Amino acid sequence: MKAFLERCIQSVQDGDAELAAGLAREALERGYSPLEVIENGFVKGIREVGRLWEEGVLFLPELVMSAEAMKLAMSLLRPALAKGARLATRGHVVIGTIEGDIHDIGKSLVATMLEANGFRITDLGADVPVGRFVDEVEKSDADCLAISALLTTTMSGQRRVIEGLKQRGLRLRVKVLVGGAPCSHEWAQQIGADGYAGDAVAAVVLAQELLGSGTAQ
Amino acid sequence: MSRTDFLATLQQRVILFDGGMGSMLIAAGLGSGETPEAWVLNRPEEIAWVHRAYLQAGAEVVTTATFGASRLKLASSPEGRSLDVMAVNERAVEIARKAMEDDGISTRFLAGDIGPSGQFFPPVGTLRASDARASFREQAQALCNAGVDLFLIETMYDLREALEALRAVRELSDLPVLVCLTFDQKPRGFFTIMGDTPGKAVNALLPEGASGLGANCTLGSRTMIELAGTFRPLTAAPLLFQPNAGQPVMEREIPQYRQQASEFAQDMMAILQAGANAIGGCCGTTPDFIRETRKLLLANSNSEGAR
Repeated sequence: MKAFLERCIQSVQDGDAELAAGLAREALERGYSPLEVIENGFVKGIREVGRLWEEGVLFLPELVMSAEAMKLAMSLLRPALAKGARLATRGHVVIGTIEGDIHDIGKSLVATMLEANGFRITDLGADVPVGRFVDEVEKSDADCLAISALLTTTMSGQRRVIEGLKQRGLRLRVKVLVGGAPCSHEWAQQIGADGYAGDAVAAVVLAQELLGSGTAQ
Repeated sequence: MSRTDFLATLQQRVILFDGGMGSMLIAAGLGSGETPEAWVLNRPEEIAWVHRAYLQAGAEVVTTATFGASRLKLASSPEGRSLDVMAVNERAVEIARKAMEDDGISTRFLAGDIGPSGQFFPPVGTLRASDARASFREQAQALCNAGVDLFLIETMYDLREALEALRAVRELSDLPVLVCLTFDQKPRGFFTIMGDTPGKAVNALLPEGASGLGANCTLGSRTMIELAGTFRPLTAAPLLFQPNAGQPVMEREIPQYRQQASEFAQDMMAILQAGANAIGGCCGTTPDFIRETRKLLLANSNSEGAR
């Protein structure tokens, strides 16, 4: 089993989606606990990728490929989980890129990395109107709202989302994360967000800090 | 001025480029969601004003307001899609040339600016090399027809894309081309977001016909000193560095760069010490930054002359 888990870790680290999917199928065929394969295999792999990214060993192409491998393996293992074991989820994150801004890649990478690390994700896409973010918080059980803005000309929309949440009495229901090239810790503070993350790996760390160790789903 | 003038001058002494255009336009009222290149056609007097201010501050190279004027980049906004690629690039060159003529000093150069497409090659995105090349070729052709003295390919976050832009220029022109990538500092050194190193950039760009190379954006002037020191031992080719004025702070929804011009200018002298041949400013720098840098440049060359 240990050797098998090591292969799972390595497949994610190598960004080998085909291998990761093959291992996920093999795990199901052999009757391994999907929970254990996820938590002690694939998740460990993606955490290691996060560490190597921060150190400057891996870069955007590798991060994207590892996240894709992780996502594919999870998509195969998750249905098996639902039947038996309860996967600990770290919380529900609603994510999107603010209106006027069509940048999708950074936001999607954050979504994938959060998902890979055990968060449940609702991805609203790019060019999302301010009101849509607020509506989504109102009607869902979101624990966290993550808003991306890649342009200095669109980042004021992040402030308007927070104002919209306040007006509807929803601000305390969710933690608000902001990200994107022109954003900063100071900006997050200024607009009353709960935090800023500079990249997908930092976003995972931040979400974990803000939402605590997670809840059973 | 001609190709030989620019490169020959660069061999003899330091050349001072201008500072940021986009952040100047935001300060002049470029609004949320507006495409800066639209101002080339709709508000040419504002673009000319920025060029004139840099020239008066002592900039020797005027950079056209065409950073995002490639078809792929313009396609990323509704306003951009409505713009004519050829018209924007040609008009931007005319505006810059006119500003230089009005200024009247002949030893100045006009750099045709080419920025990234904003799209990504696989596995991050779906950009194809041939599409990138075609988009850059079209822009380079327009800049070339309108009459630039050199090309500046800058803020490239992927060496592969920088190469496509360089090849596009080289297909149709033998004018000088400087290529600047944008690097971040990691614990292990300087890398683009794709993991390209200064060494890899040197080895890839020079054999493909780059006249010089360097870095711009992302980093402030202080960190750029170290990057210049990393580049210098790698090549004898001319090196250009154009840092930001520190990191932006938002104030009333407008990004503000808080670095003092004098501090920036001091750092620029250290960048020259580290081996740069040309210097200028990127985001957040203003004519004041270029003026302060010019002052120190003159003071340094005077004290050298007195020795």
